[in-house]
Amino acid sequence: MEPISADFEKELAALRDKLEEAEDVRRAITRGEVDAFVVGPGGSGRVLLLANAYQRYRQLVERMSQGAVTATANGHILFANQRFSEMLGVPLAQLYTAPLESYVSVGDRARLGAFLMVSARDSQIEVELNRRDGANIPARLSLASFADGYASLLVTDLRPLQWPSMAVDALDSIRAALEKLNQGVAGDAPGRDALHAISEEINGLARMIDEMIDVEGAAERKGSA
Amino acid sequence: MTPENGSASEKWNLRLYTAGQSPKSLAALDNLKRVCEQHLPGRYSIEVIDLLKNPRLAKDDQIVAIPTLVRKLPEPLRRIVGDLSDTERTLVGLQLRQIK
Repeated sequence: MEPISADFEKELAALRDKLEEAEDVRRAITRGEVDAFVVGPGGSGRVLLLANAYQRYRQLVERMSQGAVTATANGHILFANQRFSEMLGVPLAQLYTAPLESYVSVGDRARLGAFLMVSARDSQIEVELNRRDGANIPARLSLASFADGYASLLVTDLRPLQWPSMAVDALDSIRAALEKLNQGVAGDAPGRDALHAISEEINGLARMIDEMIDVEGAAERKGSA
Repeated sequence: MTPENGSASEKWNLRLYTAGQSPKSLAALDNLKRVCEQHLPGRYSIEVIDLLKNPRLAKDDQIVAIPTLVRKLPEPLRRIVGDLSDTERTLVGLQLRQIK
């Protein structure tokens, strides 16, 4: 029997190591200890995630307060979250494959089309969304990512940002109405007292709104600094 | 050098390949941190490589499944595939414990 050469022993040891590594991968897969794989020639390729690896993201996206939409470059909806469905008042099932532009006001559709063709990250536009009940919602569409020809968008309902100024307008209208009433009840002391009490309440509300606007302004200034 | 945890001054350089915040990636990092704190306190470093951000880095250590832990130092290089939930196997794989 011929003696085993040193080279052969070395090669054998290397093969044993490779076999051990392959066995280690097989064991980890069968025990469910991995949830992604690297594929492609020479490690040049991509990472494939198993379905359950997406679950955390999916739950996050489903429960977040912003709308989320993934659309093709020509604007067909491939995915939308529950919040987006609520914003439009349209069942989620009806949104899939629907053209996104059909939920955007006619005047904004050309800009939306151009926006979806742009691959620049973090670009955004503001549009009017058309709800099914006929109401319009001002919304900001932010491009979160653009990959494989699909745009993932975050949709922010801008109405809460408009509420303080809408409240100020409403209070001004109430003040004007009260002033008229005040003139009408000039000789009625209890009526004047009641109107005065209402005016005080409204002034209190106006101060609260002013403070809210100040706080929001300060936060925005801090954020942009 | 003790058979259980190497020389007391030896620095351990560990590299964990992950796929974003996939459940197994998070579990692997959690398990690795716990093992290191218990067996290599103060003398280890963990480098996390997120292959979702840069899949080309998988080539460096011939990664095929994620998560995978690579022991860069002390040599020789060692690989452990999986979420490291089997502590005993992790310790043996890292050569922090002899095979029983």
